[in-house]
This record gives sequence, structure tokens and C-alpha cells, in this order.
Amino acid sequence: MARKPQAPAPSQENLSIEEALNRAYAHWNAGQADQAELFCQRVLAAWPGQADALHLMGVIAHAYGNLDLAIAHLRQACLAPRAPAIYFSNLAEMCRQKGLLAEGEQAGRRAVALNATLVAAWNNLGIILQEAGKLEESRSCLERVIALQPNYPEAHNNLGNTCKRLGRLDLAEAHYAKAMTLNPNYAEAFSNLSNLLNDQGQAERAAEAARRAIDINPQLADAYVNLAAVETGRYRHAEAMRWLDSLLTFAPQNAGGLSGRAIALKELGRLDEALDSAQRAVAASPENTEARNMLGQILQAMGRFDEALEAFSQAASLPGLAVESALVNRAVLFMETGRKDEAKAAFDRALEAFPRSAKAWFNQSDLRKFTADDQDVGRMEALLGDGGAQSYADRMALHFALGKAYLDIGNSEKAFYHLNEGNRMKRSSLSFDVKATGQWLEQIAKTFSPVLLKKHKGSGDPSELPVFIVGIPRSGTTLVEQILASHPQVHGTGELSVLPRLTDGIGNYPNSVTSLNAEQLAQLGRAYLAQVAPLAQGKRHLVDKMPANFLHVGLIRQILPNARIIHCRRDPVDTCLSCYSKLFSAEQIFTYDLAELGQFHVAYQKLMAHWRKVLPADRFIEVDYEAVVDDLDGQARWMIDFLGLPWDEACLSFHQTKRVVRTASVNQVRQPIYKTSAGRWKPHAAHLGPLLEALGITP
Amino acid sequence: MTELSAVIARAHALIDGGAPEQAESLLAPLLRGGQGPLPLWAALAKSLRHQGKAKDALTVQQMLVEATPGNLALRFDLSETLLLFGQFERGWREYHWRYSLDHTTRIARKVQRPRWDGRPIPGQTLLIHDEQGFGDTLQFIRMVEWAKQRSQAKVILEVSPDLYLLAKRGTGFDELITRGSLPPPFDVHCEMMSLPMAMGFDLSHLPGQIPYLTADKERLRRWQKRLSKLPRPWVALNWAGRPTLYNGQNRAASLSTLAPLAMEGVTFLSVQKGPTAEQGKAPPPGMKLVDLSPEIKDFEDTAAILTLADLLISIDSAPAHLAGALGRPAWVMLGFVADWRWLLERDDSPWYPTLRLFRQPQRNDWASVVAAIRPELERFKAAHF
Repeated sequence: MARKPQAPAPSQENLSIEEALNRAYAHWNAGQADQAELFCQRVLAAWPGQADALHLMGVIAHAYGNLDLAIAHLRQACLAPRAPAIYFSNLAEMCRQKGLLAEGEQAGRRAVALNATLVAAWNNLGIILQEAGKLEESRSCLERVIALQPNYPEAHNNLGNTCKRLGRLDLAEAHYAKAMTLNPNYAEAFSNLSNLLNDQGQAERAAEAARRAIDINPQLADAYVNLAAVETGRYRHAEAMRWLDSLLTFAPQNAGGLSGRAIALKELGRLDEALDSAQRAVAASPENTEARNMLGQILQAMGRFDEALEAFSQAASLPGLAVESALVNRAVLFMETGRKDEAKAAFDRALEAFPRSAKAWFNQSDLRKFTADDQDVGRMEALLGDGGAQSYADRMALHFALGKAYLDIGNSEKAFYHLNEGNRMKRSSLSFDVKATGQWLEQIAKTFSPVLLKKHKGSGDPSELPVFIVGIPRSGTTLVEQILASHPQVHGTGELSVLPRLTDGIGNYPNSVTSLNAEQLAQLGRAYLAQVAPLAQGKRHLVDKMPANFLHVGLIRQILPNARIIHCRRDPVDTCLSCYSKLFSAEQIFTYDLAELGQFHVAYQKLMAHWRKVLPADRFIEVDYEAVVDDLDGQARWMIDFLGLPWDEACLSFHQTKRVVRTASVNQVRQPIYKTSAGRWKPHAAHLGPLLEALGITP
Repeated sequence: MTELSAVIARAHALIDGGAPEQAESLLAPLLRGGQGPLPLWAALAKSLRHQGKAKDALTVQQMLVEATPGNLALRFDLSETLLLFGQFERGWREYHWRYSLDHTTRIARKVQRPRWDGRPIPGQTLLIHDEQGFGDTLQFIRMVEWAKQRSQAKVILEVSPDLYLLAKRGTGFDELITRGSLPPPFDVHCEMMSLPMAMGFDLSHLPGQIPYLTADKERLRRWQKRLSKLPRPWVALNWAGRPTLYNGQNRAASLSTLAPLAMEGVTFLSVQKGPTAEQGKAPPPGMKLVDLSPEIKDFEDTAAILTLADLLISIDSAPAHLAGALGRPAWVMLGFVADWRWLLERDDSPWYPTLRLFRQPQRNDWASVVAAIRPELERFKAAHF
């Protein structure tokens, strides 16, 4: 297209070093890289190692994307005894881009020591300190930049990021706004604003801001990562994957993109792929603590706890922004694996380092029973007051933690103040139509008619391996699984998303199942087994306790006719109250409004009544939570018998079983059963009006 | 996977080999139902574009950009289609990615000063630099004057050395330099083809002052002398664009294709330069052609000849733009899938009031174009001479 510019023939002129350098810099300013390089080479031929020429060569290499070469040139240029501040400042920024935070910080500090009025140096140092997690110092650097140069959009953007990481979302928002006023097409500022809005629970506006950033700069990687995070946050995992894949087509090594992809794949239950993505993220950016922290989460989801712990510990010990999250994740991992004392110590350590960590307060609230004189209640309340936590997710988590604390204490009034607040916040971030859902459940019952089930009698895969535990969350599914999994011939796998994903794959579920033939049903059964059988560790039964599989009892019957199904039942009000007091980490959209909870429960009861009618007793039983609590021995023997196994005493000491529990019930099953659960709701009846009304119960 | 890449390779080979219809038939069944891998869609868009199915191509291109916003090559393809439809606002914006393509990133000029955003900057210095082909500069140099008025800046204009003398008589700049030389210090810059984006340019601004380029007086005198004895009308001919440029096939005919234009009393003047100029030495029988090519040293000569000639008949190439810039009559022969700058389905150009466009009715059909020009040329001769 363009004709190659004519390079001058500098060797024919007799220039001083100074003049040659001036020309080199002037050519580079005008975008004439060839001529700039020629003059640099000429200077270096006459004066090997000349610092100004090396510096410019480094700057040019950087502009053409050769970061390693650029850093090499700059390091050498900075060795000159009279190297000016700007060289150190540029080296600092290049080191940051390479992830060399320690070297970058050193160069940045040298730059500002040499010239305290060099705005770019304070700015670069400010970003490095931010990425190293030295937030207060970062803030003062960047405030100095703005004092020196108030209309510097980049400085406002950077200070916004530091403020956001300090939890000062209000200040962050103001700085982003200022940056955008100064430069209305500032893609990075829009991207950062998106991240902030997402933290404030404004998903729609967050997505818009990220889209705007991409529109301005279609290859701004952070904007894709932020947009994917918004979609993951509202359970639109396929959308999140689409944006991340789009990012990775032009930036295949982007650590943020690979990390985000790992999270989305984990949410989709595709753990092997998630691990691959996570490992690639860490390999692409070994210094990136966020990638390491995320790798730990994937390993944890895969049950590889020692490796997960190692990843969290590494992330917590390196400088970076993932320290808080990694410390909390470490504690949660101890909690899930039943190492209660270590979990407590780990939470203490996290809260000592980050006393304002809502994530730590929230997770540890589950581990303990609060008492009326507990000082921690006041500390959590203070975090909800002025100058406290500002992020939407943090405030929401604190409300749930305080709700739990006041339920422990027996202060119904305060407990429900916080629970109502927390649930309202969560509900407003979800879209859920309880009426349409009820109709869908009715449609399922209609579709799996006795006629249809009879038509395909004997179809599907004959395996006896799977045992499904179904029901509403918080109805004792975890307890029942734990009892069964204590038997040497049973392996508990927790909540698997394998079956829901298979039904998603059918399309137009349930209507379309009527057209499936025997071979297709058997194929679905085999597809389920192919994914779960490797998890069974050679045992006779494998337990899948995804509660929501209560929707698919009819399909299970058709594709896996010999699978056993255990329906967990519990007092409806107790179940719903327990759901309402929990902020689930998995997708759970019907539990954040008392009236909806009740209406959903009624629809569920109707569907279960249908299954009861159409399923044979040797494949489907219903276990009452209250009965298990009252008569553990009898109920456990009955269930083991149902599984066709000989009795084993280990089933009665289930709380000692060394296995992981990864649901909201995590800490209760670690305790021997106390008869505290049944009728739990009665003291709180005054606060449960909409739920009781929907369930048709008069207090 | 290998099967997919084989299909894609085959589709591109078909398109590049001049059989986009076959490429479409290969791809369309695989994309039935509206779903399929993106590279297949990208190949389909290309096959549609090469068939001149601009509207269908636009739909697919917009979908592709929506799905993979970070793919800058697809954005550039979209820009050309948008500009073809005269959708300038977004078109110019996406055209900005022209230096982010695999084969262009290396030639991107990394100016270390901000790009002018179209706002007034009195007291500052603005460097405007040309790029790409001569036709582009000849067409867009008119915007320098507007940029000067809008920016209120001191304007340095940098052009290819070949256009330096021509540009020198233009307006809108305070200083003119040639590409490759060291510009004086400046505050902001803008590529010439990014001026439309920076200034929010649209069709209503066209054509502006015509002519905006003029021939040199001395050269005019010299060429007047050279041509004076030849019978009129003088019809300048140019049958091929620079072969190095993209879309070459659409812009290359041969002198023999123009044979049907031979007409008693008409003097044809070859202004063809480059490798096909030789053809001017052996004109088709019956065509009175004076081969000026060996005597044309630079654009100054071409400008003088076009100013003196009664008409230029030209393929889409620099002389066509030069005639338009000089406000001289020219008939431009366009390929079936013409460049975006000629827009769609019109026989005039908002850029150049003195130009008429003759489009191929189907691919590679110069005969029909020449057949359409022949009676027009008879009328032109009868009306004026």
C-alpha cells in the first residue's frame, strides 16, 4: 500500500553525537522508525552503550511489541551514571507490563528520587504499587500526579482503580467520571467503570460500559474479562464463554481471559477444561496471583485439595491483589474438608490481615455459633455503617452473615432485618418468574405420564451404579448423602451438574422427550454414566445429590431404569426458612423472596406427588429429615437396605467421614445430629407471613 | 477439524481464482440454519462481496463483527462495505483499522503525538500525512483546507514526493513537506484518510471547492504547443491502474479492449504509465492514438494534459481522480465490484461533478462498458465539435 519512506543517508553528513540524537528522537516523534533507528545505530557505532540511543532503541522496541528487548535496552541505558529520571520511569512501566513488579517498583522509586516533579514517574510508580497491593502508598503517588497535573485523564483512571481496590467505590466512581470527562473516548475508563458497576450490583449498566469500551477499543482485553465477569455474575455462562473465546482469538495468552474462561467452565461443570485453562493462565503469567488463586478454586472443585491449598498459599504469599481472596479461600477449603481448627485459624489470619474483608466475615459466620455478647457482631455491623464496605456483594454478604448471627443469638427482629435486606439485594440481581416456573413443573408432570413411562419400560442403560438424592436444598440432602457415603461401598460425589446439562442438551425440555426412541434414551443413560463412572472409585454405588434433579426423576427412570432415587423431605417452613437464611454460592434463584419460595415449594410438592404415583417402591423412596434426626439408626439401615447393601456401622458415625462437603450445609454435617432442627421456624412466625400464606399454613 | 480447514482453504481458493459463486455454493449448505464456525461465515462474506452481493455481505459482516469484535480484519472488511453504502459515520470509524491487518501492521506509522480529534486547536501545529495510493491522496487532499479551517492550527502537509509539486499549488497548509523528510515540530497529527473520521465527514460536505488542484502554467504552455496541431476532440486514455494495488483485476483492461472507441476525427492521447504503457505503441486499427506516455515525466505533465484534453476515458486509477480534482470531464470505467469510493448503482460521483461512471454489468465484462461508452462518445463529438 504505502511506498517505503526514503531513508536519509546519514553517514554522508558529519553530525555531532548530540545532533544525531536530536534527529533520532525527532524522527521517532514523527513516527519515522527507520530513520530514528539509523541515527541511533550511528551514535552507538561511535559511542557503544550510549544511554540516550539505547533508551530510544528500547522505546521503539516497546512500541513494536518487543517487550523483552525493550527492557534489555532500558536496563542498560539506566546503568549510565547520568541516566535521567524518565529512563527509570519508562523501565518501571515496562517491568510492570512484564509482571516484574519488584524491579519495576525499584526503578519507579529511583525515578521519583531523581526528579520529584516528573509526573509520568509518579504515575507509573502509582500503578506498580497498586498492582503490588500497596494501596495506600499507590493512592498518595497518584494523588500527587493529579496535584501536579489536574487534567491528566490516565491519572484519574489509575487513581480510580486504586480507590476501588481500597473499597472506596464512591471515590473510584468520581475519578472514572473525571477521566471520561477529560477524554470521552477513554476505553480503559469505561472498562474499569464496568468493573465498578458490577461490584455495585448494577449488572446491566456494567455490561453497557464494557460494551462501550470494546466499541472504542475492540482489542481492550480487560473489557472482555469484565464483561464476562458480569455475565458469570448473572449465571449467563454461555455468554461469558462467548466473550472470553472472542478475547482469546486475538490474545490467546491473556491471563485474565484464561482465568475468566476457567471460572466459566467450572460453573458449567466442565472441570477438566477449566483446569486446562487455569493452568495455561498461570503458565502465561507466573507472577499473576489472581491466576494462581483461581487455579486453586478449580483444583478444589475437582477434589484435589492438597494442590488447591498449595495454589492458595502461593497466591497469598506473593505480592499482588489476590492475597485477601486467597487467604479466605484457604480457610474455606479447610472448612469444607472438615479441618475445623485449621479453618478457624485461617479465618483469624485472613481477618487479621484484612479486618474489613466481608468475604472472610461471611464465610466464617457459618463455622461458629454466635452469642449475645459476641464482639464480632458489632464489628460486622460497623462494616455496614458509614465508612464501611461499599461493594454490593460485600454488603449483601454481611447482611446474610449478620442474619445468621442474630438467628444464633435468638434475636428474630434483627435477624430478619438483615435477612430481608440481604435477600432483597440478591433477588434484585436475578430474573426469575415463579409463575412460569410453576407451569414448567406442571408440564414436566404431564409429559412423563404413566403412559410414556410404560411405553419405554425396560429402555435405557441397566446400570445400578447411580443413586440420586433429590429435593429442595436444605432439606437434609447433604446429611443423607453423608450417611450413605460413609458406607465402604458407596462414593459420594456431591452436587453434579451432569444430568441438568444433559437435559439442556436435549432442547425444548420436557416436550421433546416424547419423541425420543429407546436407543436415544439408552444413549443418554450411557452419556451420564460415561461422565460419572470414573468418579466412583470402583465402588458399587455413586451418589449424585444435585437437589434440582427432582425435576428429572421421570427422565432418570427412562434413561437409567435401575438407578435409585431418594427424595429428601423436611418440614416445608423449616426448609424454606433455612434456604432464606443462606446466600448460596451456586445458582439458586427461587430462594431470595419469601412468597416465591412458598409458591415454588407448592409447585415442587405437586411434582413430587406425581413421581410418587408413577415410580416403583424398589427404586424410589422418601426420607423425612425429622425421622432421620429422631431415629438415625433405623433410617440409615432402611436406606442402606434400599441400596441393596449389607449394613455397616460406619454409617452412624458419618460426621467422621473424611470427605468433602461443598454445599451450604457444610458445617452442620460435621456435627453429630442434635435434635435442634425440627420446628425451628415457630419463634420466627411473625416474620414469615408471605411464606406461610403461600404454603397455606396458619401460624 | 482438518475437514473444516480444508473447506475454508477451498473456499478462499475459489474466490481468489475468480469463482466466488462456487465458493458460496460450497459454504451455504454448511451454514444453513444460521449457525456455523466463524471462519466459514467470514469466507461466505468474502464470496458474497466478490459477487457484488453487497447487502448480503453487509449482513454477514455485521454479524461477524458483533460476534468477534476484536477481529480487526473483519472490522476493516465491514468498513469498506459500509463506505460503499455511504454509511460514513461508522464506515470511517471502522476504516481506522486499516493498519491493524496482518499485512499492514508493519507499515503502520507510530507517530508519538496524539491524533487530532477534530476539535479546534488554535496555536498548535497539525501534521497531516498522506498514505496509500496516489488516487487516495488526490481524492482526499481537498480535506486539508477544511481541516485547516476547523482546527485553526498551523498545518504541515506531508505528501509523497510524486505529488509534491501538484500539492504545492493547493490550499489549506502552511508548510508542505515530502514523505520521509523530518517534519518540523508538531503537536498533533492525522493520517489524510483519517481526516473524515476526525471531522465527522459525510456526503453532504461534497464536493467542496472544484477544482481544488490546478496544472502548472509553464507545463500547460509546453503541452499546448505539443498538442496544438492535433485534430480535436482530444480524448485521453488510461486503461490500467497500478498493478501493485489490491483489487487489481477490477482496475485493469487493455488498449485493445478500447478498440471499438476508434472514431474518425477523434484524437486519442495515451496517458497510460507503468508496464502496460507499451500497448500505446501499437494502437488498434483505425484508432488515431498519440502515445504521450514516454513524454510524461510526472503528475505535473498528466495534470497539464488532462487540463487541455476535452475528455479522459479511464479505468479507476490516479488519472481519473486527477481529472476530477482539476474539474475536468472524465468517464470512468468501473469493474462489476467497484471500490467503495464510487458508491453503489450510480453513474455520477458526489466527489467529482465532472465525472461519469460506466459500470461493468457483470464481472470481467469490459466489452459492455466500451459498448456503452461508444454512442456517448459519438454524441460528445457531435455536440462539441
